[in-house]
Amino acid sequence: MLSSTIFLHPASYFIVGAILLGFFGRIKIVQKVILLAVPLLAFWQIHALPESFGVCNFMGFELIFGRVDKLTYVFLHVFTLMALIGAVYCLHVKETGHHMAAFLYVAGSLGTTLAGDYLTVFIFWELMAFASVFLIWYRKKKRSIEAGYRYLLVHTAGGLVLLAGIFLRYQNCHDLSFAQIAANGATTADYLIMIGFMLNAAVPPIHAWLPDAYPEATVAGAVFMCAFTTKTAVYVLARAFPGFEALAIMGAIMTLYGVGYAVIENDARRILAYHIVSQVGYMVCGIGIGTAMAVNGACAHAYAHILYKALLFMGVGAVLEMTGTCKLNELGGLYKRMPLAMIFTVIGGIAISGFPLTSGFISKSMIIAAAGADHRVVLMLMLSLAAVGTFLSVGIKLPYFIWFGKDSGVEAKEAPWNMNLAMLGAAFMCIFLGVYPEYLYKMLPFAVEYHPYSAYHISETLQILGFTGLGFYLMVKYLHPDPKCNLDVDWFYRKGALAFMWLARKPISRANDWVGEVYRTVGMRFTMAVARALSWFDWEGIDWAVDNSARGVVEAGDQVRALQTGKIQQYIGGAVIALMIVLLVVVFL
Amino acid sequence: MLVKILSYLQDHATALKWVFFAFLLGAVGNDFLVERHHAHFWGDKLIGFWALFALFGCLGMIVFCKGLSHVWLAQPEDYYDRKEDEDAE
Repeated sequence: MLSSTIFLHPASYFIVGAILLGFFGRIKIVQKVILLAVPLLAFWQIHALPESFGVCNFMGFELIFGRVDKLTYVFLHVFTLMALIGAVYCLHVKETGHHMAAFLYVAGSLGTTLAGDYLTVFIFWELMAFASVFLIWYRKKKRSIEAGYRYLLVHTAGGLVLLAGIFLRYQNCHDLSFAQIAANGATTADYLIMIGFMLNAAVPPIHAWLPDAYPEATVAGAVFMCAFTTKTAVYVLARAFPGFEALAIMGAIMTLYGVGYAVIENDARRILAYHIVSQVGYMVCGIGIGTAMAVNGACAHAYAHILYKALLFMGVGAVLEMTGTCKLNELGGLYKRMPLAMIFTVIGGIAISGFPLTSGFISKSMIIAAAGADHRVVLMLMLSLAAVGTFLSVGIKLPYFIWFGKDSGVEAKEAPWNMNLAMLGAAFMCIFLGVYPEYLYKMLPFAVEYHPYSAYHISETLQILGFTGLGFYLMVKYLHPDPKCNLDVDWFYRKGALAFMWLARKPISRANDWVGEVYRTVGMRFTMAVARALSWFDWEGIDWAVDNSARGVVEAGDQVRALQTGKIQQYIGGAVIALMIVLLVVVFL
Repeated sequence: MLVKILSYLQDHATALKWVFFAFLLGAVGNDFLVERHHAHFWGDKLIGFWALFALFGCLGMIVFCKGLSHVWLAQPEDYYDRKEDEDAE
């Protein structure tokens, strides 16, 4: 029975797709067909999913691979759509492994979204972390390798907290079903799970992995990463923790924290990465408020945000691909050389700022209005202030210093057609949702009674945007980007790791040397005496018996040594493949 | 074509500036006319509240963030790499 339901699960399409991509590594045209066909198939398939499927029993635990309701559906819809846009964007990428990592990453995200119990959530959660780290490593620069390791370590730590929460929860109530948790009855176990989820949602102070890793990812990898990890975390928070006051407050702080860094950063992709923290803050805040309108707003904003943030990452990625840099202080005046990328990026910028007739206008305002309707004036003002910062940093500053401003004379030409096509698709969606919000509203988990195009809301928005523009105009000379590295809380573990390395290199290594010295002078004589005695015994007694088996061991050892290439990437890749095989076996049997 | 339009606009930046100021006036002027029956708090009832909020919010944010970056957060770009090299020696 389960072998038939495996064909229902959209994640299995991406896993099979990833394996096929590996087989057709040499035949690029087949690879391209797979890259486009799999997301299309999944996008079509999610309409036909039953409410529950893929339930199986594993060592006494009930695993639920498929649970579909309206909350699941809206996220599946945008994830598969984004997978399609991302696939078009990375069509020209030559590395097969990059495509495979992207597909497994999407599979992890879809699997988490569909999971109905915590064990399944955890399996796909880890798949997401392991697959996405390759999207950083494929940049193949020293900084990317290092950032990838940090990313992996932080996510492993977060995964362990999540796992601890799941174990504790099982001990408490023997129930691992993944459902809403009541805010007044939450236990330590639930809060541990929440912290695990919050790490992926990049809630400060456990957010620093995001602006650390995303700017070091590959051009196409960053487009995938900005869409899936944080928004899957938004989904799981919306599923389990709506109405938790902590989320409302942390979310509002996030919006300002992220946007503050976006104002001062220089690397365009780091600006966008910090700005993800800010935007996800709106969603976390909406979930924390927990009313029907606020949760609706969080889902709508996740949908709209995935599209325009991916659009911005694609536009800036195109600049990076064509010019080799995306640092604002080295760019300027590019509109003459890359006008198409400019149009798309500006559309992304006005959408994220919430201009009328764009997707930001109909989604962000829903959360702010929900905060107002719930009489949370302070939260509402914080979110509005973050909207001001959004327009300032991503709506004006970013396009101004890349496309306009002083002409840097950087050589560039238009990006490849597939990149532009992907950007066109995302830009179309940003405007389409703004003009026709019902398309999105009717997918939301609760009935929508909100009308974004009221005269007052338009007036409010025009004032906010106009006078933020005036602020930029007055202060533009103070906003000039500097090539600097701004400290964030990753300082603690980056400097902490250096201190640890120093400890390992200096005192511990010295102690090790000392022990070695003692061993050489004292131990050596003793060992030699014992060895002589043993060798006599060996020679006389055992040798002829063992001789043959010893040869066998030597040969086996040589074979194992060939497997040990010493590259941790390959070990992890092997571990992921092994995990996949176990998973497939479990599902099939 | 787009490049030409943008270059033309860049050459007429002064005119563009006045159009922008006219838009700002229009935005505040429009606020006198709109109905406000869904006021969430006192600010929603004040005419031009969001204009002032945005202007001072924007200026405040620039001063605060840039200032904080200047006195504390900003480090040379190779801040994390450089220390490593020193240690290795």
